[in-house]
Amino acid sequence: MMKKFLALLFVSLLVLSACSSGSGSEADADTNDIKVWAWDPNFNIKAAELAKTAYQEENSELNIEIIEYAQDDIIQKLNTSLSSGTTKGLPNVVLIEDYRAQSFLQSYPDMFYAVDDAISIDDFAKYKQPPTSFEGKQYGVPFDSGVAGLYVRTDYLEEAGYSIDDLKDADWEKVIEIGTAVKDATGKQMITQDPKDLGLLRMMIQTSGAWYLEEDGVTPNIANNDALKEAFRLYKEMIDVDLVKPHADWSQYIATINNGDISMLPSGNWITPSVKAEASQSGKWAVAPFPKLPGMESVNASNLGGSSWYVLNIPGKEKAAEFLGQTFGADGDFHQQFVEEVGGVGTYQPAAEGEAYQAEDEFFGGQKIMSDFAAWTEEIPQVNYGLHTYVIEDILANEIQKYLQGEDLDTVMENAQSLAEQQAK
Amino acid sequence: MNIPEKLGPEKLAKKPAPRPARSLRLKNTLIGWSFVAVASLLIGIFYFFPMVQALIMSFQSGTGVNLSFVGFENYIRLFQDPVFLTTVKNTVIYLIIQVPVMILLALFLSVVLNNKTLKWKGFFRTAIFLPCVTSLVAYSVVFKYLFAPDGIVNMTLMKINLVSEPVQWLTDPFWAKITIILAITWRWTGYNMIFYLSALQNVDQSIYEAAKIDGASAIQQFFKITIPMLKPIILFTSITSTIGTLQLFDEVMNITAGGPGNSTMTISQYIYNLSFKYTPDFGYAATVSYAIVILIVIFSIIQFKAGGEKK
Repeated sequence: MMKKFLALLFVSLLVLSACSSGSGSEADADTNDIKVWAWDPNFNIKAAELAKTAYQEENSELNIEIIEYAQDDIIQKLNTSLSSGTTKGLPNVVLIEDYRAQSFLQSYPDMFYAVDDAISIDDFAKYKQPPTSFEGKQYGVPFDSGVAGLYVRTDYLEEAGYSIDDLKDADWEKVIEIGTAVKDATGKQMITQDPKDLGLLRMMIQTSGAWYLEEDGVTPNIANNDALKEAFRLYKEMIDVDLVKPHADWSQYIATINNGDISMLPSGNWITPSVKAEASQSGKWAVAPFPKLPGMESVNASNLGGSSWYVLNIPGKEKAAEFLGQTFGADGDFHQQFVEEVGGVGTYQPAAEGEAYQAEDEFFGGQKIMSDFAAWTEEIPQVNYGLHTYVIEDILANEIQKYLQGEDLDTVMENAQSLAEQQAK
Repeated sequence: MNIPEKLGPEKLAKKPAPRPARSLRLKNTLIGWSFVAVASLLIGIFYFFPMVQALIMSFQSGTGVNLSFVGFENYIRLFQDPVFLTTVKNTVIYLIIQVPVMILLALFLSVVLNNKTLKWKGFFRTAIFLPCVTSLVAYSVVFKYLFAPDGIVNMTLMKINLVSEPVQWLTDPFWAKITIILAITWRWTGYNMIFYLSALQNVDQSIYEAAKIDGASAIQQFFKITIPMLKPIILFTSITSTIGTLQLFDEVMNITAGGPGNSTMTISQYIYNLSFKYTPDFGYAATVSYAIVILIVIFSIIQFKAGGEKK
């Protein structure tokens, strides 16, 4: 009786320890099941579905399963699985935002599979390369562009006596001037902003090729960053003259846009479907090139968000890489469908000559927005987003509050610099 | 600490039984131990093993899997880290404002609802307890919409002309803290009230009758009888509330995401950010989690000293 009980104890101990030691003997078998993780059903998931359909027409033996998760969930799942060293339950292909890519590639070396053989990085927009490669190898298959534009309510502008042409090649001083005039004429504020999300500042500084970090992607570059200082100054100016309507989350953001509460919307091109969701505003919008920073070297093109596909170093990796290479990395119908059906702007350059890019969009008053976005994509200055975008952003989001409440700009920046040096390790 | 206990039965079992009397005693001991052994084993594997692992990890630093030992550097960094200190400050503010308010409110409600002559007692009790069965995330999201710039709270305040423009409940550092405190008070008051109610029902009514005969007013009865009788329960609820507040995460994450700036961020949320939002540094995140453990121990000792029996 006792012996049996002890035996049972030992067995349960063995089982438990077997569980914890994990599956070391997993066969490196080839598999025909490819799993893909991505977020945003209207954009990324749709694009992945298009790629799946296109690829399966010729390679019907590959089972591709596309699974939708929120971006935060994907990050959590990847971090917990990769840090514990288990690859069970991980997908073959995962979408990662460009700002975070280096953090994953450097934190978990050997966990990702290089795709040099599947794609040629020279086919893609240049600014996509630094975030998606690591130690001379190409890991990411560049996907959407995240090219930024200034969405404008042309009807509000007209009420103030301006037109969309006044925003061609404009800088932020000019934009603020127009925004103020529009507010006087219509009572509508210029932009809406979440105090915790500094996407606007990120777009502003990238127009002059600057980032939160030096080019090495590690050293914080804040105190001596003229572009960032100018962006801070412009942000305060906009707040001081009451051009900024605050919002606290995504749905409030979209509601503010669709209710017609703001006259301008600086954002990435992926916001297009959300803007067009309010069909009654058709013909009242247009997209101007992203404003540059005044008084310094800066171009009328920038980027917000944007992501790329990564292949995990697990069985099925070769097939997964080939799938991405044949669709996202090759000149086929896929890219034209992506433009026509999803309304996305890709970064695969040869596709930009396609017909779909030349279509006029009635919602934007007949503007060829795709062709415009594609042209701006080529001009986006290349920066290395590095490892610490979101740490520094949280520091800046806190420091900018002090600046808005009247503290000296240089003091605030120096303070942010020393905080960043402490925390971004 | 549990390891000698776990080995106990196995070691003993290998020895041959010397004498019948001892053998019987041994058998009894063995049976006793074997009941405890399974539970201790599981607790050891799923509680103490990870705790020790986390402690070891708190002496390491690096990105993702590239961890290396850094000695006490993480702990030194902790005290120089302004974000950590801000999160401690925020958490302590929630604690010293929210816990007393909630405890007093719960006490008041339980005494009112314990009134024998009150009608619809069951309905009121259920209504006040009901928030506790809602999901943390779901109620947080509802609160976020209630307190949005154009949410129902602002609309009501503006309609009755209490304020002329919307209060920035979510985007102003001061009001955001108030919103969080209101939310957790709403969620947890009913939970604590139930403890007081059940304790009140165990208080002998004759004590109150005697007090009444002696001419004690209702207020005197409350402070001289009810409070002393409930003292152990008050201690219990204040300690569990303190622990709950120190671990506060869901509400802040969903209502304000820690903003504006870091002005509502809690320690738990900082651990989340260090592990998942930023480039992961699990070592430093483990250090911050140990800081919470130490804080909970300190606060619990203070409360025991302040509220416990003087022996």
